[in-house]
Amino acid sequence: MGGVSERHHSRPGVRVRLGAALGEVAALGSRLARRGSGASIRGQVLTRVAPQAFRHLLAGRRVLAVSGTNGKTTTTHLLAAAVRAADVGDVVSNADGANLSYGIASALSTDRHAPIAVLETDERVVRDMIEYGRPEVLVFLNFSRDQLDRHHEIKSLAKSWRRALEDAGATGPVIVGNATDPLVVWAAQGARKAIWVETATKWNEDSALCPECGAMLQVDDGARPRWYCAECGLRQPEAEYTVAGNAIRLSSGELIDPQLNVPGYFNVSNAACALAAAVEFGISETDAVSGFATVTSPAGRFATAKIGKAQARLILAKNPAGWAEALPLIETDPVVLAIDSVAADGKDVSWLWDVPYEVLRGRNVICAGPRAQDLAVRLSYAEVEHEVVPDLFDAVNYAKQTDVVATYTPFQRYLKLGGLR
Amino acid sequence: MKRIVLIYQSLLGLYGDRGNAMVLRSRLEARGIDAEIIAVEPGDEVPPDGLVYLLGGGEDAAQISAVKLLKDDGTIYKAIDGGAVLFAVCAGYQITGNSFTVGDDDRVIEGLGLLDVDTRRGPERAVGEILTRWRRPDGSDYLITGFENHGGFTTLGPQAQALATVEVGVGNANDGTEGAVQGHVIGTYPHGPVLARNPALADHLLELALGETLSELPSAEIEELRRQRIAFVR
Repeated sequence: MGGVSERHHSRPGVRVRLGAALGEVAALGSRLARRGSGASIRGQVLTRVAPQAFRHLLAGRRVLAVSGTNGKTTTTHLLAAAVRAADVGDVVSNADGANLSYGIASALSTDRHAPIAVLETDERVVRDMIEYGRPEVLVFLNFSRDQLDRHHEIKSLAKSWRRALEDAGATGPVIVGNATDPLVVWAAQGARKAIWVETATKWNEDSALCPECGAMLQVDDGARPRWYCAECGLRQPEAEYTVAGNAIRLSSGELIDPQLNVPGYFNVSNAACALAAAVEFGISETDAVSGFATVTSPAGRFATAKIGKAQARLILAKNPAGWAEALPLIETDPVVLAIDSVAADGKDVSWLWDVPYEVLRGRNVICAGPRAQDLAVRLSYAEVEHEVVPDLFDAVNYAKQTDVVATYTPFQRYLKLGGLR
Repeated sequence: MKRIVLIYQSLLGLYGDRGNAMVLRSRLEARGIDAEIIAVEPGDEVPPDGLVYLLGGGEDAAQISAVKLLKDDGTIYKAIDGGAVLFAVCAGYQITGNSFTVGDDDRVIEGLGLLDVDTRRGPERAVGEILTRWRRPDGSDYLITGFENHGGFTTLGPQAQALATVEVGVGNANDGTEGAVQGHVIGTYPHGPVLARNPALADHLLELALGETLSELPSAEIEELRRQRIAFVR
């Protein structure tokens, strides 16, 4: 028995190639059955056949990684586009947003030789990414409440990041971190080097207490208010990149227009983090920005799809912070809001009451998806006009143009209904 | 003007618990009673003239801070003595009791002592939809539907009575009981917010605090939501 496992250890490459081939077959099957891109199933087959696939497929590449609660997929697309624009080598990336270890392994297996990997990384995989991927740069975007039925405590994720950075020590990544997020700053204390980005984050309801000592955080009264802890001295660090309206200010004072073709103030913050990571990787600001301009609908986000009679613009919102960002983007009346509560969405929809749906007063909302009724009751208390059309197709098939904001599962279904995946 | 006092949302508002305040205000206004929500944050004084005070869910460090702040402030005790109602949910329920534990080392923290209950880490975390049966003051039964997510298990002392009996879910300690009642203090695990799904419980809190009976407020929309959630777990 020992002999078998030893043989596998001595020749992981064979096993990974076999796994990749079998995974490819499974992915093809998934596509033929119209069940999706097949990335997840490819990765699951691959990691079952070769448990070390994640580690093995990462080895020998220059890795850039992106994690955080919101903005991972878009930031990963922006960063990958920046590196591609600089033409410094082939780039492989998990562009579909499959960001668990098997999703990452799946993406890597599709291009075994690309010297550069730009990888969206789930918050729970950051530890393994640091240990096995040895990323040169790791972007920490933000921490906020998300799927509390699974994660329970936001801080425990931050703790795992900090420990992983401390364990990696001098071989750890350079962190590009969002200075306005106390948990990000606290987690990055374990890093050998950090580059700070002052983003225009608006959601701060998950950072009342100092992550270091538990005291109430204070905010100073500067022109750009900064958080600090009066007890232990943890404070918002000095940023090298600052979001200023639609532009990014460098520490030299120079203003960069990120040339974005994705909407929303929060994507300027994502771009600022991608820019900082690209520059640290050796890419010029000019190349980075020319790459940013090519990103229009990362993994279907903000894509317009023809669904029935409608041209539907699809916006993903997964948690209160994401919804607070998405609601100001809504332009149509009525608008479709689709809610589900399977595992990928979070089974508990109490977060509906943390979202400021009141901003939709004066507009009509079509409540769609399996939890449409929960949304309807929420909207009644918010005094927002609405009707309930649980079926996702019927909900959009009423107007020529409509915006759709959806949680994860209905968002994926809309992409499929629109033929975008 | 009746005041619904929402205490320390930045510490204890993890699961949309502010929704309970919205529901209470709205149900007062629907009966022609002027109402406002007063959101109290750390550093603010707790107002003494609230009708209903609300505590919600939060993480360990937030629970410790909230207990200290509320004890130092002291107003909550006087308000309840004066006839106000305290409705405490999830972590808010735990801190309202005699004691609870925090951290990996299960450090015991003294609570507000407003409910004769004690909370200790349970054998496994209780996460999921919960359905309980509440005996209303008029003797009729009412189903309470919600979502529970708690690591602590709560046992009741002689001065507290269970709020409801569990049909589906874990409740206090997998012992068939859910929540606790002691005078005008009511604690419960389901967040969600629980009053949105269970308007009769919301009206009970208001009637208890007002000392009068409120008119019926039928809503087909809420009844449909209740039907769906009850069907989901049964």
